[in-house]
This record gives sequence, C-alpha cells and structure tokens, in this order.
Amino acid sequence: MDLLQTLLLRNLGRNPRRSALTVAAVAMPVVILVLSFTIVAQLNRFLDDSAAQLRLAVAHKTSIINPLPYGHKARIAALDPSKRDIIAVVGIAWIGGVLANDREPLTTMGVDADEFPIAFTDHLLTQAERDAWQRDRRALIVGRSTAAKMGWKVGDRVTIRASVPPYSEFSFNVISTAPQAIDPVANWCHLSYIFEERARSGLPESSVDLVSFLFVKCAGRAALERYRVEIDRLFENTPDETQTQDEKAFLNQFISQQFDLPTNLTLLALITIAVAVLAAANTMNMSFRDRIGETATLRALGFSARFGALLSLTESVLLCGIGGALGVLAPLLAFGYTPIGDVQIPLIVRLEIGPGVCAAALAMALAIGVIAGAWPALQGGRLRVIDALRSLE
Amino acid sequence: MALPIRYHWRNLLVRRTTSALTILVVTAVVGTLTWILGFFLALQSSLSVAGDAHKLLIIQRGTTSETNSAISPEEFNRLAQLAGVARDPESGEPLISPELYWQTQLPRLRDGGATRANVALRGVTLRAFEVHRNIRLLGERFSVGEPQVIVGRAAAAQFAGLAVGDVIRIGVGESREFRVVGHFDAGGGPMESEIWMYLPAMQSAYLRNGYSSVSVRLEDPASAPAAIEQVRSAPIELSAEREADYWRNQTSNVRFYQAVCFVLVAIMSLAAAFALANTMYASVAGRAREIAMLRTIGYRPHHILLGFVMESVLLSLIGGLLGCVACAAYLELVGSTKDMFGSSTFTTMAFDIRLTPLLVGWSLASVAVIGVIGALPPAWRAARTHVLTALREP
Repeated sequence: MDLLQTLLLRNLGRNPRRSALTVAAVAMPVVILVLSFTIVAQLNRFLDDSAAQLRLAVAHKTSIINPLPYGHKARIAALDPSKRDIIAVVGIAWIGGVLANDREPLTTMGVDADEFPIAFTDHLLTQAERDAWQRDRRALIVGRSTAAKMGWKVGDRVTIRASVPPYSEFSFNVISTAPQAIDPVANWCHLSYIFEERARSGLPESSVDLVSFLFVKCAGRAALERYRVEIDRLFENTPDETQTQDEKAFLNQFISQQFDLPTNLTLLALITIAVAVLAAANTMNMSFRDRIGETATLRALGFSARFGALLSLTESVLLCGIGGALGVLAPLLAFGYTPIGDVQIPLIVRLEIGPGVCAAALAMALAIGVIAGAWPALQGGRLRVIDALRSLE
Repeated sequence: MALPIRYHWRNLLVRRTTSALTILVVTAVVGTLTWILGFFLALQSSLSVAGDAHKLLIIQRGTTSETNSAISPEEFNRLAQLAGVARDPESGEPLISPELYWQTQLPRLRDGGATRANVALRGVTLRAFEVHRNIRLLGERFSVGEPQVIVGRAAAAQFAGLAVGDVIRIGVGESREFRVVGHFDAGGGPMESEIWMYLPAMQSAYLRNGYSSVSVRLEDPASAPAAIEQVRSAPIELSAEREADYWRNQTSNVRFYQAVCFVLVAIMSLAAAFALANTMYASVAGRAREIAMLRTIGYRPHHILLGFVMESVLLSLIGGLLGCVACAAYLELVGSTKDMFGSSTFTTMAFDIRLTPLLVGWSLASVAVIGVIGALPPAWRAARTHVLTALREP
C-alpha cells in the first residue's frame, strides 16, 4: 500500500497545473450544487413548515383575486359544531399596502383577532404579546424581515396606505416583530379594523364584509383531507364557489407560477454534475494517455492490473474530493462571513447552507471522481503490455 | 501567414477522446445558457413591445397594479383636464381609454388542463384601439351589443377554450356566457395574453360601475413627466406611469431569479473555461516538438498563439452549436411555451421561448469568449516555446 500512496502523491504533484485546473473545474460545479440544493431545500422546508400547520386555504374558485363573502366563515365553522376537527376558521383580507413616500409594496393582511393566535401558532408567542394584540384594535404584527428592512420595532406607530379600495391610510401600532414566524415578510392586523374603515369610507355595503381567503385550522391530517373536499362541496352551485387547498399547494402555486425555481434549479444541478464528470474524465483520460508507458512498466514488473486501476481510481476520487471540499467551503465562507450573505431572497430571505447539503454535495463530488476514474481504470486493465511498451520507442 | 484551419482541425481529430469530452462540457454549458437566455429574451421582447413611449397608464394611488386599482367615474372625469393628450383626427376627442381589469382561471393546454392559469380580462371601449396602437385584429372585433370577446394570440395558444366560436363563462358566479369571435395580435406584448370585451358588458357582468385603470395616448412622449406630475397632484390625484415602467415592475421578482441563474451559469462557464484550458495545456505539452518545427519553418510566435486560440475557439464553437441543438431538442420535447405571474397583477403572461438567430448569436458569442479565455494561458505558453530545447527533446 505504501507504493500506491507514493505513486498517487507523485502523480498528483507532477502536473500541478493540470491537477489545479481539474480541482477548479470540479469545484465550480460543486458550488452550483451547494447553492441550488440549498435554495431548493429551503423552499421545500418553507412549504413543509406551512404544511405542518395543518391549515386549509379557501379561495374563490374563479380567481384568487375574487373576494369571498365573510359569511363563508360561519358556514365552514358550522360543518363541525363540536370544533373537534375544525379548530378555527380565520378570515383574511389582503390590503397589501405602501408607505406614504415609498414604492416598495408591503404584504399586509387583516385577520380575525380571536382565531388568529389559535390558527397561526408561530405568531404571538408570549402572553404579553397576545394581550397587546387583543387590547389594541390597531395592533400590527410585522414580519421580521420587513421589520428589519423598514427599521420598525415594537412600540412604533406606522401609517400604511392600503392597495385596495378604499385606499385609506391605516395607522398601526407595532406590537410584535414575529421572531419565529414561518413567513418572515407578512404583516398582520385586525380584520375588524379593515371592515370598519371600509364602511366609514362609504364603500357600498356589499363591498365591506369581504375577505380574500379563509384559512381553516384542522386537528389532524384526516380532518384536513376530509374538509378539503367538503368545504368545496358546501359552496357548490352558489355564486361564490370555493377552491380549497392545503397550505403547501396554495403557496406552491405562487412559486411555480413565477419562475418555477425548484424545478429549474434541480435541472441546472443535474447538468452541472454532468459538466463536472466530463471535465474530470477528460483529465483522467489525458493523464492515462501520458502514463501509458509507466502503467505498462508497472505491469511488466509484476504489479496486477487491479493495482493500476486502483491507482487511477484513487487519483480521480482524490482530485474530485479536493474540488468538492473547496466547492463546499467557498459558498459556506461567502454566505457565512461576507456581505454576500445579506442578499435577500424572496420567501427564503437568508440563505443558510446546512450540513446535509454540504454532505450531499461532497458525496456527489466523490461519486463524480469514481465515474471519471472508471474509464481509464478499465482501459488500464485491458492494456496490452507488450504493445504499450513497444510503442514507447 | 496564419496557420491553416485544416491543421487545427486535424489536431482536434488526433486527440479524439479528449476533444469529444471537452466539446461535451461546452455543450452542456451552452445548452443551459441558451435556455436561460431564451427565457429572458422572450420575456424582454414581450415587455419591450409594451414600452410604447406615447402611452401612460393611470391607476389609483397606492396601488401596485391594475388588479387592485379602482377608479371611480368621478375620478375618470377629472382626467379630461389632462394636458398633452393626443386627439382623434376626425372627431377631435381625446385619446383616453377607461378600462376594467379582472381575471378568470382557465386550464393550461401545455399540461392537458392539469393546472389552471389566471388569465386577464380587459373591458375596453372602442377608443382603446386608438390608444393601444399595437393591437391588430385577426378577425372580427367584439360587437357592442352582443356578449362577445376577442382573445390575444398568446392566450389562445396556451389556454383551453379560447378558439373562435368557443364560449367562456365570466362575471359574478361565472353566470354570463361570452362567445369568442376573433383573436388579436399585440406584436408579442403582454396584452396578447389577455381577453378583451366591451367595457359596459363587462361592468354589468361584474356589477361594477367604475374602472380599474385608464390608458392615455400622449401627443408627444417628451411631455410624459409633466403629465405624470399633473395626474399626481390635485385635483386629479391618481398615479400615472409610463407603460414600460409599469411592466418592468411586474417582472421584478423574475429579474431576481434571472440574476441567480446568470450567476450560476457564469460559474458553470468558468468551469468550462478551466476544462478547456486543461485540454489545451495537454495539447501544447504534447506538441512541443511540432511547435518548434513550425517556428523553424518560419511561423512567428503570434501565429502560434493565434493558432492555439483558434483551435480552442473551434472546439468551443462545435460545443456551442451542439448546445444550441440540445436546447432546441429540449424545447421541442418539453415544450417552449412558458407563462409567469405578474408580481402584483396576479395574472399570467404567456410567452414562447424561441431559438432566434439573435439568441443563437449570443450563445455562440459567449462560448467563443469562453474558448478564448480558456486558451490564452496555454497558447501563450506555446508561443514562448524554446525552439532549440524543444527540438532536442526526444
């Protein structure tokens, strides 16, 4: 084994430029792997976290921008008077919002104040926060990334102009910056405040009690599945038919309709792996050709074909392993310790490269090494020693 | 006199496996690059069509799109005071088009109706056809007396039930039936993804008496800033934007993804450049004697340098062409139709990724650059080959 080690190190070192270029050509694709795996994993985690909340999203069947009558809430709740399966129904009215002298659109939604803490357990974690929320009709929970961007903190008074009729200005008191919320962007306020404002501004009565969606918190998976179908059946053949989805499917339609990042990134990662395999295979192939004479000599000296194969295989795995390690390290350092890490990504907000992704990328790099080294290893085994030696002259 | 191309071609053939592997690396990179470039070129061209400098889009203050904007008839009437508006040459009426914007869900044809897209509905008066000059009817126009609609070409191609003669259900509770009587072309712009109908018919179907937005045609594009300011201030107090700016905001999210993809492709291209450099270094090392020979018979160092760069560019162009073919095959197999959400309209813009000469040109140009970058260091080394030492080597 000692000889193998010596030969291996010598081989790696004798054409340092080639080794370095190969390491780089493998490291780059691994960087892409790490980044795209991370983005996809974080998007999925966001969706899974939402799914774990066991909520159904009820929207208008015709279009998500069609509002639903608030009366739907009571009718859905009446499906389960015991409240064993349907724990809470929350009406949500989207008002979007912008600040007085800022174009940046906000995501602000009015929710039923009593049911919100029951259905959205990732908000209002302390009793003090819950009290502040119930006490103040103008209470506003601000998403933590929104709060960071706007420089808002608990106790601030903010004025937001709604992006939907009647386009009034709402003044809110920030009571929480939702440190644990799954959605880091959305702001939440009292639905009753929005209804009052609509009525006060003289909107026709039919436009006051409308909500954008209803979220239905269920007790378990079975209830979720059952009411997903039953709610739509309840409103069948009424003017306001509904489309009920679990929260993951509901949110996923926004992601897949924008650029379908998960699918496209996965595809990109696959092509990237192919690039790395080809680049590494090219190196191993060139090195093998350069060393045909040596391999033949080794064989003539009595070393087995397996020894030669092992030699090129380990060299390839080692090169790709180093490339993989560098490829994992570069984004880890870049996103952990440089300003690049502050780049905000929609939905994900902050890219956090996890150990699982790093391990997967490293494993992939080693696998690339095996595949790239396999062909020369195979060829080395089939080498006709006499011909090879003769061709040296 | 430069080295003949045939010399380089033969050299590539001698190192068959290496050449093939290198070409495949480039193929994979270019295939991806072409698709991503194609996606954004398609989006870009759709948006640039929407950039009619004469047009202003007016929506309610504080709103981000036509979808959540509402303009009352009183507010609309105040727009009559707006200065600089173009007029109809015959009637002298100002070219101001009140429009109602809503949406309905229609099945996508691409996946056999498994998913549904939010398709925009636009209620317009006949004036709209003078304000939106790029609209070209491909058949009949809706009648003002009958429940009829016309459908943009992209919408008709990508969503189900929009052929001429089909009936769509719209309005509150989808209670009204409208017949498709014709299609229209908007020069590839975003309006091609919409369904248009007569404004009063749409208002009655959705029980509305106001509008969503107002499009205005200006006499002179240069007066846009003044007009925007006039719309913003009292007594009009609405929000006006150039058409191009409005659509640019709708795609802001996609622009972010675009940046992500381009960074990733740039990293990938770098990997390809490294692979090329590796190949060319090996080629240079293996041909030291040959290079020395060329120098002896009179070729100058810059000929050698240029020669190796050419060889690398040749290699990468073959890979580039194959990459374009691969991208074309992918578009053929998986489909070239795409659509995306406006980030605040929530309606779907449909477009088609096409391998245009411009796109192929861009891809090949970038791959040639990769080829040059990858080849320069090894070619430099080749050019500096020491003639006597190299000739003396076995």
